[in-house]
Amino acid sequence: MGGPKPLSGMQKQVLSLYRGFLRAARSKSPEDRRQIESIVSAEFRRHSKLVDRKNFLYIEYLLRRGHKQLDQLKSPDTLKLSSLSLRNLKRP
Amino acid sequence: MAVRAAILRHIRVPVMPSLRKSQTWSLLNSLRSMSSHGDDHLNKEEVIDRVLSVVKSFPKVDPSKVTPEVHFQKDLGLDSLDKVEIVMALEEEFKLEIPDKEADKIDSCNLAIEYIYNHPMAG
Repeated sequence: MGGPKPLSGMQKQVLSLYRGFLRAARSKSPEDRRQIESIVSAEFRRHSKLVDRKNFLYIEYLLRRGHKQLDQLKSPDTLKLSSLSLRNLKRP
Repeated sequence: MAVRAAILRHIRVPVMPSLRKSQTWSLLNSLRSMSSHGDDHLNKEEVIDRVLSVVKSFPKVDPSKVTPEVHFQKDLGLDSLDKVEIVMALEEEFKLEIPDKEADKIDSCNLAIEYIYNHPMAG
């Protein structure tokens, strides 16, 4: 992996989105929170291995999609991630 | 502690008799943050202890490797997503919200300790 490199702008955006999800999860019940955290963490890790880090267009698309899902999650009506369109999270 | 006792003594008597408990508490907290290094500011040993115990309790971390000098990526093999999780756990432990710009810079126990120790609201 080499030594620590400064984060690129896009990496920062991804980390900021991840932070946003974890913050939003805090406002849910402890059980839902744990579930949300494990799904979100698994999704980010899966994509981090799957997606070529030079595929900027696709990463930008994922960022936009992630922000939409985060907005949904932030709504107090959304209790669990399963009520989001999780199927879209899976790759075609 | 002496400071807090002195403040309490002043507040309790007729000054604001109608204060509810919660209001008194928030008033005390705001007074506390004004005294930059008063008696009840977190001392460094406590910050170090609590930061280290948060890092040690992280599932991917071998607790025996954790020292105040340890670097999250180089020494503990954590990636950037792990780092986000650790910094968020520290936020909760010290009741802080660390802005993205600062959070991105915290990549070692040492930096975390310095940031929290110098934060006026850390509790």
